[in-house]
Amino acid sequence: MTARRTLAALLLPLPLVLAGCAGTEASESGATSTPERSSDSTSPDSTSTDRGSAETSAPAPSSAATAFEVQVTGGQPTGDTGRVLVPLGNRVTVTITSDAPDEAHLHGYDVLVDLEPGTPAELAFDATVPGVFELELHDAGTVLQTLQVG
Amino acid sequence: MTVLAHGVGSRTDLPIPLGLALYGAGAAILISFAVLLLFWRTPKLGGPESGRPLPPALQRVLDGAPLRRGLQAVALGCLLLVVAAALAGPPETARNLGPWALYVTFWVGLVPVSLLFGPVWRVANPLRLVHRLLRGVVPAAPGARQLPALGLWPAAVSLVVFLWFELVHPDRAEPGTVAGFLIGYAVVQTALALWFGEGWFARGDGFEVYSVLIARLSPWDRRSDGRLVVRNPLVNALNTPEVPGLAAVVVVLLGSTGFDGITRTVWWQTGPGAANDAFSGTVGLLASIALVAGLYLLGTRLSGRLAGQPPGVQPARYAATVIPIALGYTVAHYFSLLMLDGQTTWILLSNPFGMSGVDLFGTYDNVVDLTAVSPDTIAYVQVGAVIAGHVAGVTLAHERALLSARHARASDQLPLVVVMVLFTVGGLGLLFGF
Repeated sequence: MTARRTLAALLLPLPLVLAGCAGTEASESGATSTPERSSDSTSPDSTSTDRGSAETSAPAPSSAATAFEVQVTGGQPTGDTGRVLVPLGNRVTVTITSDAPDEAHLHGYDVLVDLEPGTPAELAFDATVPGVFELELHDAGTVLQTLQVG
Repeated sequence: MTVLAHGVGSRTDLPIPLGLALYGAGAAILISFAVLLLFWRTPKLGGPESGRPLPPALQRVLDGAPLRRGLQAVALGCLLLVVAAALAGPPETARNLGPWALYVTFWVGLVPVSLLFGPVWRVANPLRLVHRLLRGVVPAAPGARQLPALGLWPAAVSLVVFLWFELVHPDRAEPGTVAGFLIGYAVVQTALALWFGEGWFARGDGFEVYSVLIARLSPWDRRSDGRLVVRNPLVNALNTPEVPGLAAVVVVLLGSTGFDGITRTVWWQTGPGAANDAFSGTVGLLASIALVAGLYLLGTRLSGRLAGQPPGVQPARYAATVIPIALGYTVAHYFSLLMLDGQTTWILLSNPFGMSGVDLFGTYDNVVDLTAVSPDTIAYVQVGAVIAGHVAGVTLAHERALLSARHARASDQLPLVVVMVLFTVGGLGLLFGF
């Protein structure tokens, strides 16, 4: 009986500790909802061919721009690699310099750019679709960076 | 082509806002203690005999051979089409029907369909039709008598194999891999069914067992006298038969979804999984399943010990109470994949073999609308599903404890509830991205 009580007493504060671990920063603005865009999600095959039109109502400061640079040497990417943050609506330019011929592909947005050895190539797009997207080398399969748009 | 953790996909979700994650975790903990301390003190949910029976005429149609064989034939046609498209369609993943149909539309779509309509894949399983056609030409199942002893363990194994192909195989998104998996799966499952008899599918076909497991939370069930009934999904879940290996299946599902979540974190991508190869993936997948299994065994056995119950029976007894937690996390994890990248299947279906000039439904030139569901909606669905699953799980565990011992003390249930809180907070943490 006492062993049982001790055990219960030991376990009881555990969830509280866990809740504390989850984070102590002030809650982010994400909880305050932005006006929803096209939420017509009832039929999965309702597809729109024009992504841009859905975005016109979004508060997109189109003047803002974000630039990244990535170098690839011997298959290893350096520069702005890993997870990079992009505010929604920004004009994004990624300058990629590779020492081998390849093709860079931004998933989701499906933007492609050819890479010539030694020549910087620019991949540019408007970050109008929120989400997390990978920029990878098509042939080598290497992830150059992961863009978090939102 | 793609290096995303899940089989295919062009995007992953934004991390849920920290505030939402914290509110969710707080709610999970608060509700857990409310259930323990304030909920009913005697069993309240109905037993296996409860529920409103369906009209006999409707049951005759639903249980009838024409409907089952018909659905199985349709499913077999779809399977053959997907395999043929994977083999003979466009070689690049983005334009090949196979990976999208298997990993997104079928595997993820099975969840909402089973939740709404019951164990659909048991009725429509195309391999049952193949087995039926073949069993006339081979001797009667020699291994039928060993089958009951195996429980659901074969299904757990077959699910691990599929999940390895989906989450770990280096070429998981390649159409050739999908075709190879589907052909291999069909051949092995049919051969095993010929050996063990038709009962094999209910115990060894991972997809069928998955569909049946989710259907435990649908409003449809079968009374012990065979009548189909409509009743509270919680009653269905509570009356899940205690089969050996049930806990293993639930643990595999929760652990593998957790692994998929882990692989999306920066921590994994720059740390243990940086190599992005089969070895790190295999170890990660097995470690995630082992972690969930360890916590689950610890929680159930400890609870059983406090309540003075034999600890050996506890893991199987409480396995069904974890189904809603696994389901909630699965919904949270794959909702956006089905709604957004799932559109690809319907676009490619218009021209499965990529032939020029073919556009059966006029949708082949459509582009996936990645803004069809807003990030806010996705985040609310994610947290809502995780919390709803947690509430259902804790409620079921409470009722289960009261059924095992009439005056079970609230403190006896604490270890299992703490483990469930760990699963939920861990799941929210993965959605937040730590």
